[in-house]
Amino acid sequence: MDYKSLAGQLVQTCLKKGADSAEIFIQTGRQLRIEVRNGDIETVQEAASQGIGFRIFAGGRMAFASCNDFSDAATASAIDSAVRFAQQTTADPNNVLPDDKGNTPVADLYDEGIGRVVMERKIELAQTVERLALKDSRITKSAGSRYAEGEAEIFLANSHGLSKGYKSSSCSLGVSVVAEKGAQKSSGNDSCSRRFFADLKKPDEIAAKAARKAYEMIDPRMVKTQRAAVIFDTDVAGALLGGILAAVNGERVLQGASFLGTRLNQKIASPLLTIVDDGTRVKGPASRPFDGEGVPTQKRLIVDQGVLKGFMYNTIIARRAGVKTTGNASRGGFTDVPGIGPHNFYIAAGANSREDIIAATQKGLLLTEVTGYGINPVNGDFSGGASGFWIEGGKIAFPVKGLTIAGRADEILNALDMMGNDLDLNRATAAPTFRIPEMQIGGE
Amino acid sequence: MKPANHFIADMPRRDFLQASLKGGVALAASPSLMASLLSAMEGGAAAAKLDPDPQMLNRIIRAALQKGGDFAEVYVENRIARDILLEESKVKQAVFGISRGAGVRVIAGDKTGYAYTDEISEDKLKRAAEVASYVARGSKPSAPVALQKASRPSFVSVTVPLQDVADARRVEIMQRADQAALSHDPRIRMASISYYDEIRGRTIANSEGLLLNDELPLLFFIVQTLGVGANTRHMGRERLSMHAGFEMFDRVKPEEVARACARESIAMLAAEDCPAGKMDIVMQNGWGGVLVHEAVGHPLEADNIARQIGVFTGKMGQKVASDIFTMVDDGSIPNARGTTDFDDEGTPMRRNVLIEKGVLKLFMTDFLSARQLKMARTGNGRRESFRNMPIPRMTNTFIDNGRDKPEDILASTPKGIYVQSLSGGSVNPTTGMFNFTCREAYLIENGKKTRPVKGATLIGSCLDIISNIDAVGNDLDFGPGICGKGQNAEVNAGQPTVRIRGINVGGTRA
Repeated sequence: MDYKSLAGQLVQTCLKKGADSAEIFIQTGRQLRIEVRNGDIETVQEAASQGIGFRIFAGGRMAFASCNDFSDAATASAIDSAVRFAQQTTADPNNVLPDDKGNTPVADLYDEGIGRVVMERKIELAQTVERLALKDSRITKSAGSRYAEGEAEIFLANSHGLSKGYKSSSCSLGVSVVAEKGAQKSSGNDSCSRRFFADLKKPDEIAAKAARKAYEMIDPRMVKTQRAAVIFDTDVAGALLGGILAAVNGERVLQGASFLGTRLNQKIASPLLTIVDDGTRVKGPASRPFDGEGVPTQKRLIVDQGVLKGFMYNTIIARRAGVKTTGNASRGGFTDVPGIGPHNFYIAAGANSREDIIAATQKGLLLTEVTGYGINPVNGDFSGGASGFWIEGGKIAFPVKGLTIAGRADEILNALDMMGNDLDLNRATAAPTFRIPEMQIGGE
Repeated sequence: MKPANHFIADMPRRDFLQASLKGGVALAASPSLMASLLSAMEGGAAAAKLDPDPQMLNRIIRAALQKGGDFAEVYVENRIARDILLEESKVKQAVFGISRGAGVRVIAGDKTGYAYTDEISEDKLKRAAEVASYVARGSKPSAPVALQKASRPSFVSVTVPLQDVADARRVEIMQRADQAALSHDPRIRMASISYYDEIRGRTIANSEGLLLNDELPLLFFIVQTLGVGANTRHMGRERLSMHAGFEMFDRVKPEEVARACARESIAMLAAEDCPAGKMDIVMQNGWGGVLVHEAVGHPLEADNIARQIGVFTGKMGQKVASDIFTMVDDGSIPNARGTTDFDDEGTPMRRNVLIEKGVLKLFMTDFLSARQLKMARTGNGRRESFRNMPIPRMTNTFIDNGRDKPEDILASTPKGIYVQSLSGGSVNPTTGMFNFTCREAYLIENGKKTRPVKGATLIGSCLDIISNIDAVGNDLDFGPGICGKGQNAEVNAGQPTVRIRGINVGGTRA
C-alpha cells in the first residue's frame, strides 16, 4: 500500500472535517514468535497488524483517535470522533504540531532478510539454544526457549507538510532454565536482541549464560542488615536509569513532580557519571530517524560528568517550557498520543574493568537482579529487592538472595566512585558495571 | 525478550504497554456518534459485524483442523474505548479508539498455533487458520462439532449504559474529582485524573461446538495528587474500577476517590526513613491482597504446573499454608473488575477455592492446562485482546475472611510496619521470590500505628509468606489493578487485614 499518499489524503480529510491542523501516524507490522520446550514446539504465533492514529487540533483543542481498519468509512468515522471529542478538551496555545521536515539518517534499522529465513531454521535455533542450556548437569529443567521477530513500517504526515517514514526490524533469541538442588529452585535466563538476523549471538553463548545464572544462585546465604558497597552489574542498569529517565521528562519537570526539576546545570552526581540519549546510533535498538511526531532525532548529553545538562521534550511540552523540542516525542504504537521518552539511553563507559571493581571492594554486594520500581522520580527515594553475590576481600564469596537495598538518589549518584568499561549498546537502556561505595542493605 | 516476571500494578504501566507493537485501542463516542460510527463501519466492512455468521465460523474451524490437530477456536473481538486525561486542571488528552479483529487457535497435543487478523473477512480468517495450523502438521485430524449457540448467566449488570453517556458528563466527573483534590489542602499542588472506559464485544466459537457472544463494559478511574511539603513531595494514588455502567459514580463519588488520594499525599509528606531488615507486617484490608496475588496466585496458575516448573508442582492436597489461610479466585463477584460472564474460552465463571485452611485444593486452569493436568476448566483462560492467545490468569483473587478483628491484630503487634497501601510488585514464578513497593506505610510501636515511613520494598518467598501469616481479619475488601504476564489482564486483589511475621523490608536506615 502507498502509505505516503494515504497519509496525505487522510490529513486533507481531517482539515475538511473541521480540524485546523492534523497528524496521521500509520503503523503496519508483522510479528512471529516461536516458543520451544523440551525440544518440541510449544507455541507458534504469527500475525500482521496495522493501524492509524489521528491527532487533530481545532481552535487550540486537541484530540486523538485510532482504528485498525483502513477502509474509507472507518477512517472517516475515526476522524469525526476525534473532531467531536476535541470539543471536550481544554484549549491551549501550546497545542501545535512540529514543522521540521528533516530526517536524521540512521543506518541499518531494517534487515529485509529476516523474513526470508525459513521457519524451520528459526525453530531449530530455539531448539538448539535450549538443548545447549540443558547440557550442564546442574540444570534440571527447561523453562522454555524463544525466537521472536518483528518488522514494522511507520509513516507520519502532518498538515505542516511533514511526510516521512521508515522501516525497522528486530529479532531475538532467548532461553530460560532451572537449576535444582533438593527443594531449592533457581531460574536463569539470557537473551539477545538485534536489528539484523546475522548479528544474533550464537546459541552456545546465550545458553551458557542462562545456565550459569541459574546454577550460580544455588545455596544462597543471608547477610546481616548493614551498610556496604553495592556494585551494579550491567544487567541492572534500569534500576538506576529508570528513575532518572522519568525525572528528566520535561512535563514532569513543569509539574514540579521531578526530584531533578530545579537542578539544571548543577552538579547532581559524581564526575564519573555521564548519561547520553542517542536516537542516531547505527543499528541501535532504539534508534530512529525521527521521533513519535516526526522531529529529527539527535544525540544529546543528559548528564555531563555529573552536571545535569538537559531535560527531554516533545513539541507541545517544549513550547510550554519556552524551549525547543529535543526530539523525544515517544509513541508506543498507533493507539497512543505522543508522550515523552528516550531513544538509546545509557551511562557512558568509564575506565575500570569489572574485575578491577570487584577486586577493589573489601565488602559488599554485586547486584545482579533488582526488583521493584527503582528510583522514585518524584522524590528521589530508592528501594528495591536485591540478589547477587556477596563480596569479601575483593572476591566473590557466595550468592545472596532476598536482600533489600535502599538510599536516596542524590546520595547514591554523588557517591558513585568506580565506572566500568563494559558498556553494551545492544540494549536500549544500558550501563556499564559501576560501584556505589556505601548503601543500606537489608538482610537478617 | 527475557520472559518478564509476572507483575502487578495499580495503574497502567505505559512503559510495559509500549514494549510491544500492539493496539488495544482506546475508543470513545457520544451516544449518537457511537451509533453512527458502528453503522458506518458496518456499512464499510460488512464482514466486521459483531455477530459473525456461524456458518462462516464453522468453515474457519474446519479449515483450522485440516492439517490435523484436536482443538480449534475462533475468537472475534470488537472494542470501543475512551481515554481522557485531566491534569493541571486541563483536559489534556481525549483518546478514542476502535479495535476489532479475530484470532484463530489450533491445538495439537501440547502444541499451540495462533494467528490473528485485524480484518474480519472469511479470506483473512482462512489465512489465519492456515498459519495457526502449522503446529498440527502430521498430527491426527479430528472432526469439529457443529456450532450451537450457547448462553451463560451474566454477572455484570448495567443501569446506565456507557453508550448513553455524553462525553461532557465524563469530563464533569473528572472535574469534580480535580476540584475535590485541590480544595482538600493547599499543599496539593496538582491533580491528575485519568478516565478510561470501554465496551468489549466477544464472539467465541470452537471445535467442541461452542458458540457464545457477549458485550461487557469496563470503567477505570484513577486519581493522582501531588503533595508538596517543605523539602519533600509525594504522589498519591487512588483507583476505582468495575465492569459496570456509569452508575459506578453514584455508588462511589469521584470526590471520595479524590479526597482519599489527597489524604495520602499529605499524610506521606511527614514520612521518615524506614528501617531495614526483617520485621512483622500488618497489612490493611483491600488492595494489599496483591501480595498474595503475586506470591501465591501466579504460582497457582496451571500453565507452570503443567510444565512442572511451578513452586506448587506436586503439592496438590498437601498442607502449604497455616490453618487460618484460605485463598479464593472468584470471577463471578457481581460487577467486579476481575469479573466476566465467561472467560475468553467460553468457560463459565465461578468461585474457585484454591487453598482451603492451608491445604492446596485447586489450580487455575485454561483449556490447555486443564487437559494436560486432567483437571476441570476453572474459568481462568483469559486474553488481553484478539492479538493474544488465552493463558491461565487470575480474576478477583483474595484471602478469605478470618475471625480476627482488625484492631486486635494491630494491638497485638508490639513492633513492625503497618502497610496501608502498596503500589505493585512482581514474582518470579519458578523460584517464588516476590517483591512489593509500599506507597503508604507507618511504624507500629507498642501496638499502635504511629509515624509514616517512606516507600519501602517488601520481599520474600511465597511459601514462607503463607506459612508466616498468623492473623487474618474479618474485613475483606478489594482493590483494582492490572496484572501483567506477557499480556495484561484487569484484576481485583483483596484481603482482610492480615499480619505476616518476618518479612524483609528495604528501608534506608538500620
